[in-house]
Amino acid sequence: MKAAFIKTSVVLVCLLTLVAPCVAEEINAQKLLEQLDENLWANKKFISGRLIIDNGRKIRTLTQDSWMEGATRSYSHYKSPAREKGTKMLKIGGKLWMYTPRTDRKILIAGHLLRQSMMGSDLSYEDMMEDHKLSHAYAASVEKMEEFEGVQCAVLHLVAHDKKTTYQTRKAWVNPITKIVLKEERFAKSGKILKRILYKDYKKIEDRLFPHTMIFKDLLKENTKTTYKFDVIQFDIEIPARYFSQSILKR
Amino acid sequence: MNWDIAKKNFYRQGMRAFLNVLVTALSIISLIFMLSLLNGFQAQATRNLVATDVGGGHYRVPGFDILSPTEWEDHTLKPDESLLKLSDKDKAEVLVQQGQLYPNRRLYPVQIRGVSMEQSLLSLPLDNLKKYGEQIEDVIPGVVGVKMARKAHLKKGDILTLKWRDKSGAVDARDILIVDVGDMVNPRVDDGVVWLRLDHLRSMTDRQGEVSWVAVRNYMGPIDGVEFQTVEILMADLLALLKQDRMNSKILWAILMILVCTSVFNTQILNIFKRQKEVGTLMALGMEPMRIVRIFTLEGALAAIWALVIAALLGVPFFIWFQGVGFDVSHLSEASFPIRETIYPDYQPKEIFYSLLIVVFLVVMAAWLPVKKIIRLDPTLALRGRAIT
Repeated sequence: MKAAFIKTSVVLVCLLTLVAPCVAEEINAQKLLEQLDENLWANKKFISGRLIIDNGRKIRTLTQDSWMEGATRSYSHYKSPAREKGTKMLKIGGKLWMYTPRTDRKILIAGHLLRQSMMGSDLSYEDMMEDHKLSHAYAASVEKMEEFEGVQCAVLHLVAHDKKTTYQTRKAWVNPITKIVLKEERFAKSGKILKRILYKDYKKIEDRLFPHTMIFKDLLKENTKTTYKFDVIQFDIEIPARYFSQSILKR
Repeated sequence: MNWDIAKKNFYRQGMRAFLNVLVTALSIISLIFMLSLLNGFQAQATRNLVATDVGGGHYRVPGFDILSPTEWEDHTLKPDESLLKLSDKDKAEVLVQQGQLYPNRRLYPVQIRGVSMEQSLLSLPLDNLKKYGEQIEDVIPGVVGVKMARKAHLKKGDILTLKWRDKSGAVDARDILIVDVGDMVNPRVDDGVVWLRLDHLRSMTDRQGEVSWVAVRNYMGPIDGVEFQTVEILMADLLALLKQDRMNSKILWAILMILVCTSVFNTQILNIFKRQKEVGTLMALGMEPMRIVRIFTLEGALAAIWALVIAALLGVPFFIWFQGVGFDVSHLSEASFPIRETIYPDYQPKEIFYSLLIVVFLVVMAAWLPVKKIIRLDPTLALRGRAIT
C-alpha cells in the first residue's frame, strides 16, 4: 500500500515537472499581455481613491478623484489633506500640468521634472502618468511558472521595444486563467531591481476584474511604500470635456 | 620757521597729541589689515577655483547652467577637434549628469561628474580612480569629497547604489564603490558631487565622446558650437560677494576715519580756544593770519606723519607675524566658499600707498578746518581771550 502511494507520488511529481514548462510554453505571452491591458485600460473611467504615503517615519494619506480617458488624458483633483486640498493635475499626452491653490499657479511638469518623486511618494510623476499600454511598449515572453500567494502565475519577462522607455525590462506575475497581474517588478537597464508593485483586492466591476489596492515600493529605499487604494471605480462614464482642458486648473 | 614752531607746539600738547597719533596709527593698521585680508581671501578663492574647477575658463555647451540640474542632460555635445587636440595639461573634459545616490538606502540627489583621468589641468584627488580600466566591472568606482562623505555618511570602501538616466531617458542603476574620500579644497566640487572616470560616465549614459564643458588653460578664441566662459563669469557670484565685502569694509573704514578726524578736529578746536591769546599776540606782533593757520595745520599734519611712523613701527611686525600664522577660516568649510585652509593677507603696495595718502589728506583737512577761522579773528579780542567763546 505504502509502496503504491510512493509510486503514485513519484509519477505525479514527474508529470507536474514535465507539464509545468509545457504550460509555460503554451501561454502566448504577448496575447496574455494584451488581455491584461484590455482588462485594466478602459476608454473612460473614474476613480476615487486614497494615496497612502509611508516614508518610514510618517504616514500621509491623500484623497483624490481621477477621471481618465484612454491612456493619454487624465485629470486628478486632490481633496485632502488640507495642505494638498485643491491641488489639480492634468495630463494630456506627454505633458503634465499641476495646479496648487496656495500659489494659484499652474506648473508644467515636463522633461526631467517628471522623474521627481510625486508628493514624496514612491512614485515619480512619470510612473503616475504612464501613458502606454504594456503590450504596445514591451515584447513579452514567459520566463517561468511560479506560485505567488497561492496562485500559479506565469512570470512574464517584458523587454522594451524602444530604448527611450523608462524601464527597459519588467517582470509581471500574471494569473493566466483570470488574466490579471498580481505583482510587477521594474528593472534598471543594468538589471538591478528598482520597484515592486503588488496588485491586490481584485473585484469584479462590470465585466472586468480590477485591483482595488496597488502597493508601490521603491526597492532602493528602506521602509518606504505607497499604497494606492481605489474606493470607487466606474468605467465608461461621461466625462465633461472641460476636465481635460487647462481652464480647469484654477481655484 | 613754521615747521619749528609747529613741531614745538605739537610736542607741547603731550598726551593729547599722543592719543591722536595712536588712534590714527591704529586706524591705519586696521585699514591695511582689512584690505589685505580681503585681497588674500579673493586671491586664495580664485586660486582654489582655478585649480579645482575653472582652469583658465570653460568652453561650455550654450545654455548649460550648473544651477539648473534638470537641464544638464540636454546640454552635452562632442567637443570641437581644436579642443580635443589640446594636450592633457591644457584641457580637462568634464561631463556632468544628475544622479541619485542611496546611502543607507536613503535618497541623496547628487551631481555625477566625470573627468578624464589623463588631464592635469585641474588638481583633484582622483588618483584612486586611475587604476581602474576603461570598462566598468562589477561596481562603478567613485570618489567623493570630505564634506560630501560627512553629509551622506560615506567612507572609503562603502558600496551603495547610484541611479541615473542614460541619453535616451532609460533609468539605470548600479552599485558604486567609494574608492576614496578626497580632500577637495573647493566645496563646489565636493558638496553633493560624486566623481567618476569620464569614460565610465560616458558609457553609463551612452554619451560617447560627449562633454558638458572643456576647461582650458588659455582662451583659444571663438569655437563653433560652444561658448567661452571666463574665470570672472564662472566665479561671478564669489566676486559679487567680495565686492559687497569691500563695500562693507569701506563703511567700517569710513567710521574709523570719522573717529580719527573727529579726534584731530576736537584737538585743534581745543588748541585754538586755549591758545587764542598766543594767536592774538602773534597777530599783534605782525604775523599774518594765513601763516598762523599754516602753523596750526602743520601741527595737525605732524599728527598724521607720526601716525604713519607709529603705524609702521607697530604694524610691520604685526603684519610679518600674521603673514606667518594666517587667519583660520575652517568654519567656512560649511559654507560654499572655495576656501577651507588658512587665509594669508595679500599686501598690495599701490593700494596701501593710496590708502595712506587718503588718511593723511583727511587728517590734514581735519586739522585745517577748525583753524581756518583764525583768519577772521580780531587780535584785540584774541589777546583778551574773548575771540573764540
